[in-house]
Amino acid sequence: MNRPLPRIALGLIVPALILVWWTVQSNAGGARALAFVPLGTIAATFADLATGGLLLGDALTTLSRAVTGLLLGGIAGIALGVAMATLRPVDRLVGPIYHAVRQVPLLGWLPLIGLWLGNGESAKLLIIGLAAFYPTVLGTYEGIAHVERRYLDVGRVYGFGAVQRFRHLLLPAALPLILTGITQAIAFAWIATIGVEILLGAGGGLGATMGIAQAQQRMDIILVAIAVTALLGFAINHLFARLRGHLLRWQGNPA
Amino acid sequence: MTAQPRIQPQSAATDAPASGALTLSALSKRFAIEGRALPVLDGIDLSVRPGEFVSIVGASGCGKSTLLRLIVGLDTDYSGEIRLDGKRITGTSLDRGIVFQDHRLFPWMTLEENIGLALLNSEIPKEQRARIVCEHIALVNLTGFEKAYPHQLSGGMAQRAAIARALVTEPTLLLLDEPLGALDALTRVHVQTELQRIWMRQRSTVLMVTHDVEEALYLGDRVIVMAPNPGRIRRIVDVDLPHPRDRSSPVLHRLRDEILAELTGAPDPENLVRFPAQEPR
Repeated sequence: MNRPLPRIALGLIVPALILVWWTVQSNAGGARALAFVPLGTIAATFADLATGGLLLGDALTTLSRAVTGLLLGGIAGIALGVAMATLRPVDRLVGPIYHAVRQVPLLGWLPLIGLWLGNGESAKLLIIGLAAFYPTVLGTYEGIAHVERRYLDVGRVYGFGAVQRFRHLLLPAALPLILTGITQAIAFAWIATIGVEILLGAGGGLGATMGIAQAQQRMDIILVAIAVTALLGFAINHLFARLRGHLLRWQGNPA
Repeated sequence: MTAQPRIQPQSAATDAPASGALTLSALSKRFAIEGRALPVLDGIDLSVRPGEFVSIVGASGCGKSTLLRLIVGLDTDYSGEIRLDGKRITGTSLDRGIVFQDHRLFPWMTLEENIGLALLNSEIPKEQRARIVCEHIALVNLTGFEKAYPHQLSGGMAQRAAIARALVTEPTLLLLDEPLGALDALTRVHVQTELQRIWMRQRSTVLMVTHDVEEALYLGDRVIVMAPNPGRIRRIVDVDLPHPRDRSSPVLHRLRDEILAELTGAPDPENLVRFPAQEPR
């Protein structure tokens, strides 16, 4: 079941069933048709938004916002994770506050951040960055702190200095968990991006469009935005999984 | 194999290298376990000649592996003295190589990267390193697998690669910590033969810990028999046979029986169980 074509076909079965069920619901008439917008209407709206360039603009805005937040949060997260795992004073100093703060859902911070930074771009990037930051710190820290002693011994036998130890031993040994952290960070950052766009309206993007469409009761637009969000998120995830597989090719195929 | 020059049988005494003399004097080591000091090595005195192959056997828990960790310099918390060519050992150094029971190749590096990594801090000029790595891969018969990752190698191949990594820095003292312990019987015999061939070419001093008495005798010029709790030297057996050796040599078999009897607690005639009414044969 590893040849691509049958695999893709299998993955499409459930979405197809959902579409069938959707059509049945939208044909049921009455109030149903309002919530379950007919597929034809959604397709027409999609064509409309796509040709007007509105959809592409929204998608690009959301994408660049998510990537910016991911880079900010991810780089900071890796840096802090490395520092916590390699320098005990740093771990003692910021470990407790990190583990306390990450228990608070990002939604909880929203009113406060809105008060500090308004509803502009910096507030959005802070939330997205935080969403990416937490799992990256955790993955990096766990990865480096749990490098096996038997490998560290090898480094000592060959007289590695601190930089050699980090570059040839700690970093590659921790890479699987760091990449797991980044995989989570990507998913969280994407979700957070759509979320802050809905909640902090201004500035465009797929989420903002969803928010406006909700106010105007345009279910068709919401559904198009949801579909594009899901597809883009799926594509990003898939691309990163392939990159991850390439970076970890030395692990072989876990049977 | 055919291209290799014929190596003349020789004993360790002739043609010995100038460096690689290891002396242990009054070496003791204790671990602190739950506040109590547990002695693991007690008063080890041993002098190894340059180029000699010394095997160490003993029951598990007799501190064999701890001894090697001390000599390689991974553990410097001991009393007594360890000297290599007169110099006191205070930490790890490229003049001492070690092969562990698990190969410990870095899984994220190819075979040649793993071996090259051992040269990272060596004084060998960078432009010669690739050639030296290549030669050592050939030495352990792994040519063609340079780009393989450790998970693509069999257990025997990975262990040979680990031997190449330990040898690439041309250490004056090579420490082997049950290097073949995890291999199946057939691969073991094969790698033992290769180890003997390599040692006869390199002629570095070798100290090998093993739990296989036959292996200890087949390879060692001397076999140190250790006793546990705390680890100490019980007996030193000279194996006065030239290399390469014949596994079926009666001397090896007699020595094996002697050592095994010693390790398993020689049956004292007084304590033997007498079966009643034994039939005459």
